[in-house]
Order: sequence, then structure tokens, then C-alpha cells
Amino acid sequence: MVKGLEDRVFNSIVYLILALAGLCAVFPLMYVVSVSITPFAEVLKNGGFILLPKSITFDAYRKLLTESGIPRAFWVTVFITVVGTAVNLVLTTLMAYPLSRKKLPGRSFFLLLVVFTMLFSGGIIPTYLIVKAMGLLDSVWAMILPGAIWSFNVLIMKSFFEQLPEELFESARMDGAGEFRILWQIVSPLSLPVMMTVGLFYMVGHWNEFFQAIMYVTDRTLFPLQVIVREILMLTQQPLETVENMTPTETMQMASVMLASLPIIIVYPFIQKHFTKGMLLGSIKG
Amino acid sequence: MKQRPIFAAAAAVVLTSSILAGCSGGKTEQQAANAGSSGNTDTKQEAPKSNKPVKLDVIETGSGLPAPDQDQIKQEIDKAIGTELNLTVYASGDDYKNQLNVRMASGNFPDLFAVDRAQLKQFAEQGLLLDLTPYKDKLKTTVDFIGADSLKKGTQNGKLYAIAKSPQIPYNTFWIRKDWLDKLGMKPPTTPDELLEVAKAFTEKDPDGNGKKDTYGITGGKLGAFSPVFGAYGTGSPGNFYVKDGKLVNALYDPAMKDALAFIKKMIDAGAVDPELLSNNSTQQYQQKGIKGQAGIMWIDWPNVTKDEFVAQIKAVNPNADWIQLPALKGPGGQFEGSWDIGATPGMYAIPKVLEKNPEKLNKVIELLNFVSTKDTGSALVQFGIKGKHYNLENGKVMPTDLMGKEVGYSWLYQFTGRPEMEYLFVKFAKQAPYIEFANKQPRIQALNGFVDNPTGYNSADAQRFMDEELAKFVYGKRPLTEYDAFLKTLETSMNYKAYLDAATKQLNDLGFGK
Repeated sequence: MVKGLEDRVFNSIVYLILALAGLCAVFPLMYVVSVSITPFAEVLKNGGFILLPKSITFDAYRKLLTESGIPRAFWVTVFITVVGTAVNLVLTTLMAYPLSRKKLPGRSFFLLLVVFTMLFSGGIIPTYLIVKAMGLLDSVWAMILPGAIWSFNVLIMKSFFEQLPEELFESARMDGAGEFRILWQIVSPLSLPVMMTVGLFYMVGHWNEFFQAIMYVTDRTLFPLQVIVREILMLTQQPLETVENMTPTETMQMASVMLASLPIIIVYPFIQKHFTKGMLLGSIKG
Repeated sequence: MKQRPIFAAAAAVVLTSSILAGCSGGKTEQQAANAGSSGNTDTKQEAPKSNKPVKLDVIETGSGLPAPDQDQIKQEIDKAIGTELNLTVYASGDDYKNQLNVRMASGNFPDLFAVDRAQLKQFAEQGLLLDLTPYKDKLKTTVDFIGADSLKKGTQNGKLYAIAKSPQIPYNTFWIRKDWLDKLGMKPPTTPDELLEVAKAFTEKDPDGNGKKDTYGITGGKLGAFSPVFGAYGTGSPGNFYVKDGKLVNALYDPAMKDALAFIKKMIDAGAVDPELLSNNSTQQYQQKGIKGQAGIMWIDWPNVTKDEFVAQIKAVNPNADWIQLPALKGPGGQFEGSWDIGATPGMYAIPKVLEKNPEKLNKVIELLNFVSTKDTGSALVQFGIKGKHYNLENGKVMPTDLMGKEVGYSWLYQFTGRPEMEYLFVKFAKQAPYIEFANKQPRIQALNGFVDNPTGYNSADAQRFMDEELAKFVYGKRPLTEYDAFLKTLETSMNYKAYLDAATKQLNDLGFGK
């Protein structure tokens, strides 16, 4: 089909707007990358703003990876992310699947309980008391278990499960499959998109884990990456006479930002394609 | 019929929660029992001291702490007094506040923790803090170290609730670009009027010679940038209390305040001030403006200008840049480099009341405080690191090694009782000694705000915000100075400032100021 002039004009405008939006997203990232690999004096000479580095040094990265607490924190975060996401997915599925079955007795009541927690929370102190009573203080589990199930993700998963045709369950049941078998062998393989989506939510959450670490962990060896990165970013606000020659320059700060966000940036594109399917929440029912 | 599943569900929920509660309840009781029994046995058999190190939990704000296995200061302290110190630092004050509040509310008290004046008051009123008055003798080393004035700062209603660090010295002065002055053929300003003239010239006469009008006279953090101007008019910074002619004054009510504001307005009107002045939140922001050559005068501390790394940055941007300190300006109200709060402390540490029941721990905390206050051992350790490794003694003088900056730059986190400021700085900043001395010896108005507790019903944050906003309007000409008295009226009534004024006056009079 030959496109009319109008179409072409329209398309060009759309592309232009998209390109601008894209640039808006890329510029800050470019700035961060450039500053992180440029000697700070060079940055200052350019009035504090550079987009393309003129001279390159990986000093900041080397320093961060060898001298600071970042390597250790990195592994803590990896552990929390991997184990935490696994725990999240298993528990969330186990919660969402029964709720998606219309025959569950007291379904709306349980649903109400789930939704209730989205609107009202116990607050910091009661939560802290529970974590303390469970003996989780100062352990990695304090950063995994209190947030093991996010109500919102339960709802996403539940509505995905509800879209699966009822006939599927009937025939499986006819063939003698129990609920666990149905969940494991029929529902799970069909639910890859929603698993990926919810998994990514959880993963990003764990990767950015910060608040629970600050609240429940006092042992420095268990601090996750973001806590350490934040510390580096905030070093500049310390009284200067005390941190002799340790004040990190902007170069260091940007490098730590890069180290903290790079893994997620890398993972994102691989999971992104599952998003549209997995994110549908009660819009179209087949 | 329809109700049944719901009942079943409800029953299930109740059951599970009771089981959970039972579980957790049992656990805490057990823990408490354990703690209690161990505490008891230890106190009973005090003679054969257990060799097991005592665990001490300390929290404060700060950053840069290494992990415990690389923390040489911690290891040395543990070795010296038989503790297992767990120091946790929080980079942001808000994070720290959250953590402290949660722990105080949930009864999971740290054994030693930093408090500010408001927290000290709050926790003391709630009965959560240990009154240290009976332990003064045991704490003698500490008390001697911090000095009698510091001791007063941790006192509430005559009871000693916190150990305040030994006092600091002022670092801030005006810094000015000497090379710019020379280029324009001007002399360092000595009065507010000369300051205005120089600042104007810096803005208009292209002192960096790049042909562009891209420079400003003065930069700094908010109205604090004008501290020496306030000083020259004989008034403290807005909100300061001080004694003037034998009477207690609040700077806002000092007649000189209006004159100072009028002068600041004149400087801003002349375009001689960094237009982003009011949005400069961190020192780094305006420090970089100075380094980049965007401003020729800044109100800043000496470390931010003279530390090696910053000198290197300054030289990298402009090899000719030459920053010098400016002595206090002489004005109609005298010659003061701003005000200096003699009631402020670099930090205070409190001990929870529950430690009363755990004498072993309490003794260790006291020992810890005494240890870091002992001149040749603990205090030297938390100031300079390990002798022979991070520093050497030559004829009684501390000579830092290269390792000091590299390995124990965080040692200040362990200075729970402060440090002898001048000696410390002269060792760590031998090169900067003249600047330190210069900043320290400038005449300053002695502000007393640090001694004042906010009365209940007075929200200092709200009042401060209102004050900042209105003063900004005055100096930027958005509100005529003729309305200054109306501003004070609003502040007094709707911001409850009157209550604060009265409380402060009474408290300060009680301490013997202005009488």
C-alpha cells in the first residue's frame, strides 16, 4: 500500500517525538557514564557538565571494586535477589492460584484480606516488632521474608490465571490431576509471561533493597549494594575535616550509580517482551 | 449455609494468628529469660570475669565505615577493653532517626546512641534514658576530657542524660580570589561597603578575562553567605540569641538586623550575588562554583578550599586562582566574622535506661567512653589510628604516616567523646595550619542557641521555614522592609515564636546569660 503524504508527515512527527523522548532518557544516562570515566578536574574545567568524555580513566571503578564495601555488598544483593525472587514467585503463585479458582470457599473474604493490606499497613513499629519476634533481625532473611508477597503482584497473577480457559482445568481434572499437579504441570508452563513480569517486579525490588536493610540490619557485612552506594553518594555531606582525602568526587559517585544499576539495565530487555501479556489486569476477558 | 465458609475461614485465620502469636511470644520470653539469667549469673560471679567479650551495639550517623574484619579501630578497641563492638552508621539523618525511633519504641535499645537536643529532651521525658549523674565518678576520665561546659549540654532538668562531645572550633570565613582583586587593581575589602564594591566589580568587570559576563561576586549557602555582613552590623544570624551590652538579644529583634538586611538587599539589587544563592543547599554546590571560577567570594570553611584534593581541582581549572581568607569586616556594629554557637556540640551520646539492669554491659559502655577519652591510648587511637602503623611519635609529636589517610580516615566515627580539636587538626592538616588558626581567631558573636530547648507547642521547622521565606522576600525586594515589624508579629503569633522567645530567655537567664 502506498502511503499518502499525510501519513508520512504524521509518521515523521511521531518518530521525531519518540526520538526526543528517547534522547531525554538517554542523556542523563550518558552524563552519568561520561562523568564516571572522566577525571574530575576535567569535568570541572568543562563547567561541571560533559556528555562525551575527552580523557578516560577507570580509576573510580577500580577504587570502588577493590577498596570499598561494594564487592561484598554486591554478593549480598545477588543473594537477596536470587533467593528472594524465588521465594516471592513460589509464595505469590501459591497465594494467587487458589484465589483465582472461583470454587474456593470464602474466596472474596480472602481477597478482601489481600486488598486490605494494600490500603492499610501496620506501620513501621509493629512490623519491626514482628521481624524482631521472628528472630529475623540482623539476617539476610529480614530483607527477604517481610516482603515475600506483594498484594499487588498477587492480583496481577490472579487475574492472569483467571484468563486461562476453564475447559483446561476440567479436562485435567478428568484425567485425574489434583490441584497441585494442575498448578505445576498445566498452569505454570502457560503462565510464563506473568511469571516473568511479576518476577521482574520482585527482582527490581530486591535489587533496590534499601529500606528493610536500614531498618532491620545493623551488621555491616550484610548491607546490600544500595545502602553502600547511598553512603558513597552522601559522603559529600559529611563534615569535611573528618574524612580526610576520602571524599569521593562526582566521578566516584557516578561510577557507583553505574555499578548499582547496570545489572538491572542488562536484564531488562530480555524480560520486556513478556510485559504486555503479563501486565493485563482485569481489562479484557476472553 | 452461606455463612459457613466465612466462619471456617475466620476460624482458620484466628487459629493461625494465635499460633503465630504463641510462637513469637514464646520465643521472646525465652530470649528474655536467657538474657535475664545470663545477666544475673554474670553479676553474681563478678569476681571471675568471663573472658567472653561483651557485645555492644552503637548507632550514629556517619559513613565510610569499613566492614568489621577490616575495621582496625574496632579491633583495637575490642582488644583493649574486651568488647565486641557493633557500630552501625547511617548515612542519612532521616534513616538514623527512623532506626532510632523504631528501636526505642520496640524496646530493642542500642547500648550507646547519638542524640540531638530534641531527641534528648523527648527520650528523657519518656524515661528511656539513663541518668548518668550517679555514674559521674566512674566517668571521670570522660568528664575531664569533654570539659565542664560540654557536660552542661547533655543535661536536662539538672540530670545528666548524655555525654556531649568536646567542642569544635569555627572553620568558616570569607574566602576571596586574590588574583581577581589584583587584576582589577583592588584591595581586599575591609568594610561592608568595600565588599559591595568588590563584589560588583567581580560581577561586571570580567575578572577572569574571558570576555564574557559570566562571574558573580558572592556565593554561599543561603543567607549564611552574609554572616560577616551581619557580624559587621553587630548582629548574629537571624534567630541567634546572644548577649549584647549585657542584655540577652534575639538577632531578629536587634535594631541592627534591619540595617543588615537593607545592606544585603543593596548587594543583591546590585547583581553582585550568585542568583542561585537561596537554592544552594550543600556546601559542595557553592564550593564548586568557586572552584569553577563562577564566583570570587565565598563564605566557606577552610577544608573545602585548602584540602589537597580541592587545591588540585582549583589548579586544574585555573592555575592562577589564588584564594585568600578575608579578616572580619569592620562595620557600624563592630567587627565580627558572623556568630558562633557556643552551646552547640558536634554530637551527644546517650545510654538507655534498661542498661541499669545489666551492670556488666553498662560498665563496658562506661569503659568504652573512658577509653576513647584517654589521651595516650584510646583517644590517640580514635584520632590517629594505630601507633607505629598509622602514626609515629617523634619527640612527643604525632607524625602521620601515609597509611593514616588511606586506612583510618573513618576513625572519627569512634570519637564518641570528641577530640582535642586544635591538636588534632594540626596533626591531620599540618599544611593547613595557618588557615585553621586564622579562621579560629576571627572575632565572633557568641550565639547561645545550642543551650535552648524548644518549648512544647513550638515547631521549629515550621518557624524556620517561615522565617527563611520572609527574609528572602525582604532581601530580594519582594516585600518592603517597612513591613519588618509586621513580619515579626506574624512570626510571634502564628508561628508561636513568642513562646520560644520566652522559653529561651528563661532558660538562658537560668544559665546565667544576660543577667
